[in-house]
Amino acid sequence: MSVAPLLRKIFLVDLIKGLSVTFRSQHPNELITEQYPLERPWIAERYRGQPRMAVNPDTGESLCNGCGACALACPEKLITVTSDRDPVTKKKYMTSYTYDVSRCMFCGLCQESCPTDCIELSQDYEMALYSREGMTLDRVRLEKGPEPTEYAR
Amino acid sequence: MRPFLDYLHSNVTPGEYGSYLWAVIYILIIFAVASVAVMLMTWLERKILAHMQVRLGPMRVGPHGLLQPIADALKLLTKEDILPDEADKMVFWFAPVWVMMIAFLNYVVLPFGRTHAVTDMNIGILFVLGVSSLSVLGVIMAGWSSNSHYPLMGALRSSAQMVSYEVAMGLAIVSAVLMTSLNSTGTGTLSMIGIVEAQKAAGRWYIFSMFPLGLIAFLIFAIAMIAETNRAPFDLPEAESELVAGFHTEYSGFRWSLFFLAEYAAMIGISSVAVTLWLGGYLRPFPNLLSGHSWDLAFSLFPGLVFTGMALMCLIGAARMPKIPQMKVQTIGLWLFGAVIALIAAVLFLPGVRERVQDIFWFAAKVAVFMYLYIWYRGTFPRYRFDQLMNLGWKVLLPISLAVLILTALVGIRQDLSTVLMGVLR
Amino acid sequence: MSNSNFYDDAPVEAPGKTFLDSTEMVLNMGPQHPSTHGVLRVILKLDGEKVLGTECVIGYLHRGVEKIAENRTYAQFNPYVDRMDYVAAVSNGLGYCGAVEKLISAEVPKRAEYLRVILTELNRLASHQVWLGTHALDIGAITPLFYTFREREEILKIFEKYCGARLTTHAFRIGGCQYDAYEGFDREVLAFCDAQDPRLDEYEELLTTNRIWLERTKGVGILSAEDAIALGVTGPVLRGSGVRWDLRKAQPYCSYKDFDFEIPIGLSGDTFDRYVVRIQEMRQSLRIIRQAVAGLPEGPIMAKVPKVLKPPVGEIYHSIEAPKGELGYFIVSDGSTQPYRVRVRPPSFVNLQALDIMVRGRLVADVVAVIGTLDIVLGEVDR
Repeated sequence: MSVAPLLRKIFLVDLIKGLSVTFRSQHPNELITEQYPLERPWIAERYRGQPRMAVNPDTGESLCNGCGACALACPEKLITVTSDRDPVTKKKYMTSYTYDVSRCMFCGLCQESCPTDCIELSQDYEMALYSREGMTLDRVRLEKGPEPTEYAR
Repeated sequence: MRPFLDYLHSNVTPGEYGSYLWAVIYILIIFAVASVAVMLMTWLERKILAHMQVRLGPMRVGPHGLLQPIADALKLLTKEDILPDEADKMVFWFAPVWVMMIAFLNYVVLPFGRTHAVTDMNIGILFVLGVSSLSVLGVIMAGWSSNSHYPLMGALRSSAQMVSYEVAMGLAIVSAVLMTSLNSTGTGTLSMIGIVEAQKAAGRWYIFSMFPLGLIAFLIFAIAMIAETNRAPFDLPEAESELVAGFHTEYSGFRWSLFFLAEYAAMIGISSVAVTLWLGGYLRPFPNLLSGHSWDLAFSLFPGLVFTGMALMCLIGAARMPKIPQMKVQTIGLWLFGAVIALIAAVLFLPGVRERVQDIFWFAAKVAVFMYLYIWYRGTFPRYRFDQLMNLGWKVLLPISLAVLILTALVGIRQDLSTVLMGVLR
Repeated sequence: MSNSNFYDDAPVEAPGKTFLDSTEMVLNMGPQHPSTHGVLRVILKLDGEKVLGTECVIGYLHRGVEKIAENRTYAQFNPYVDRMDYVAAVSNGLGYCGAVEKLISAEVPKRAEYLRVILTELNRLASHQVWLGTHALDIGAITPLFYTFREREEILKIFEKYCGARLTTHAFRIGGCQYDAYEGFDREVLAFCDAQDPRLDEYEELLTTNRIWLERTKGVGILSAEDAIALGVTGPVLRGSGVRWDLRKAQPYCSYKDFDFEIPIGLSGDTFDRYVVRIQEMRQSLRIIRQAVAGLPEGPIMAKVPKVLKPPVGEIYHSIEAPKGELGYFIVSDGSTQPYRVRVRPPSFVNLQALDIMVRGRLVADVVAVIGTLDIVLGEVDR
């Protein structure tokens, strides 16, 4: 065996190199922990979280026209839309809308298929509940939108 | 009453003074301090390991997780005590008791200072060696009485590992003891305080004498010490990824915590032995070279300065805490903690306390370095497989320690001969 | 592999003998185990510490993904494929979309292909980082896990900014990509590549020359090239045994022809070689990503695909080089909007067969190392 590898073996060079890597990473700049819930994470704009329905900001009416494209697009068939046709203007409007979040896999196919950009997956991820009753969202809850939780500790 | 308090003016250990009562008081103090140290070790391990893994560790229980050991202790005390049906109940109960007893028995002879030891047995190091071998019995008892093959395999492996590394450890100790006899009278000593005084008389720590023999003997002891306490990289018997938890698989709650604490106590005990034998024990740096009143004063200010530094860190950290209502309790806690440490620092600056505490401080500092090394190794190295572990113990460490012993003896004879010749010629 | 029942060879116990008297012990590394990478049950027949044989019991994570495919349209099935190999979700999507596009003979635009390559190679890095962290953890080195997850965090942030989800990305659509690169995408990806190079050196410094690591991985779990080809293993396991086979070079798909990269191969087929192969693959992935970002063309990102997709009657098999091996999709179409059959060829399922050969005659501690080096994900094995 040649001299250099033998010396490296005797003087434990490889072990000391490993020790120096772990020693260096103790520097405070290297820490990456985010102390949730005191520090909230940064969420991207395209994040697919809790669904919500958009409302026309001027008139307050829902943007949904009852077409049912989202219900057709959903792989889990968890959206049910009922609609009616206005006898005067001959336009369809939505009468009821339910979204079952318990089986949702947040794939985003509903928001992609919506022609009016009404249903969208917002950036809310804190959706924990104590029972299954709150998991079927109706139109009112969807239009209210995400409610960020304030933690006491 | 007077003879009782007279001890405080004397300059010897309770064993030499002959007072049983003071010995008991010393034992209680050492036990309390060791228990606190062990609890502190659990917190330190989690924090330091976390920082090496670029994360923070416990942060929520107290300020920076300082109350985490208390939370852990409460949890373990209130856990259900599971006793396996087919287990041998008497032995099952006794195994953690035995291991804990043996781990703390080491502390009787450890020299925390020139006069700060329970007793200074004249066979001190032999006592330590014998006692640490007894802990193997506890491990085997735990594994056998659990009546299940995971703990049995773990216990047999652990005991085989501990026994093999004790041989190398013993030989390394012998070469250190041999160096105590290389003085003018030619007689060595086995007593722990005697070994430290011999290092003081020789003028250098044994790790530096007969370079590189002292260093190699120290390294052999350091490696064997890690294998004795079943810590990484030799922790296969308790490797989670393979045998669940080795010999303490079936133990839960308080019994498991006894094993856990005994492991840390054994770590501190055996590091103290290493510090005594090679790193000059309770001696301050350069006792002979930098001697004299002013140097003594400068070195005796060290403990106070260290505690002041720690207090400043706590107080500055408390000032930098986020000022939100959720963090109020933690911030107050950190201010109080900083205040307590500042108080201890102030006490350590008092002249009466300064001299007495110096020895203990330097001893504790050296042992703390070893504890950091233990945690550092755990964070860095992978685990040895069992046959590779035994290979290392028998085929590498044992021959090297034998060679070091023989070479130390030869060098010692040469030194002795040259001294004798010098004496004859003169 | 023989068809006989595993327990036929077990010794018959004489009356009065207990398990402590026999020389063979049956140990169950059960579904709940810290290092079987999921719910895998491995039944080991041991003689003391030596392994005499193994049997894997799988199916604890079976979710019926292939059956679900028969009741969804082609576009609706896309989110489900991410959940198979959940560690590297983007490549599952690439394989499925590539298979359907082959079926309908759709031409994916160049820009979409380059975006797909960038995301797939980032996903390869992420998968190998999980592998490195967990493999080192099984062998006992507990810190590389956190370092690799720190890098993986950056990759997942990029995924989140691109398509909205970190793990189950649903990044591609049939015919191209739904989302275009966001503002600052190339800048962030290049910044990540520049940060990753020294980190790879850090992992190597910590492990590659470490004597304990070498002793635990050299000579452990040797798989010869003939055995590897006979069993059908693919991916880094095959390349570690010395066979130069990478689908990105052998059957190029999705514009991999345009990029210049090398395929690392190992020499002896042991665990250490597979480790080196995967680390080198990570470096080659960085090379590909840099070339793709530099050459990202302008243009559309979605081909003209009908909204209601009815592929012609027929069947197609399309496979890609996923981080774990050859991931193949066999789709049978009967002309309707829903596929007749989707069969997934998961790389981990086939690679797991090599466990028995690699572990016979070795010690129990090596079983853990070998399961780690095969890099299996039970979501893929069980589907």
